[in-house]
Amino acid sequence: MILGRVVGRVWATRKDARLGGAKLLVVRPHGVYEPALATGHLVAVDHVDAGVGDDVIVALGRPARLAPGGQAGAGAQPADDSHPVDAAVDAAILGVVDRVELDASASARPGAAPGIRRPLPALGGRA
Amino acid sequence: MVIGEVVGRLWASRRAETLSGQKLLLVRPLGASGPAARVLVAVDALDAGPGDCVLVARGSRVRDMTVGETVADKDVVVGIVDGATPELPRVAGRKGAA
Repeated sequence: MILGRVVGRVWATRKDARLGGAKLLVVRPHGVYEPALATGHLVAVDHVDAGVGDDVIVALGRPARLAPGGQAGAGAQPADDSHPVDAAVDAAILGVVDRVELDASASARPGAAPGIRRPLPALGGRA
Repeated sequence: MVIGEVVGRLWASRRAETLSGQKLLLVRPLGASGPAARVLVAVDALDAGPGDCVLVARGSRVRDMTVGETVADKDVVVGIVDGATPELPRVAGRKGAA
């Protein structure tokens, strides 16, 4: 999962049925994480009613496809233990961050694990 | 997913069986810059065209679900963007630059 800030919303009427009807939000990842394309943004389906300006937890890959809420499209399998809802998404917002405690100096040390390099308040406002 | 602008179409008469019948689009992800910036060749089953902004999902599982597991491309157009907040910057949008 990654941490990011919601910077916008996207609407798409024509879309693959397996994408479902969930709200689509534009997220700018915090820290050094970049999507593989170095675009500085990603689009995630929203399962927790996040809004612009929120800091959010974004799951990528399989956990995103299997996210709860049953918001996958009409073509999706019914949700049960063996066949969870499987949506054609690669990123999903699974939580809205209330608060973060972070040792910024430790995370910025050379050789530290890739992650947040600065405290969160300094990262907003680039939208 | 990433948002990208369709900047062109691609035709290839000689192509592998695993790409036959697939419409291929050239998509430039919005905001892409620097050495890592590149144009995607994405499979399109939604009839998008140059100037459209599209959602491109990446990965084999999404590909399996949408265009089929026999298709040899893991970048798939899964949506055509109607609108966005804030307004999307466009390179050559047919609906006018924002």
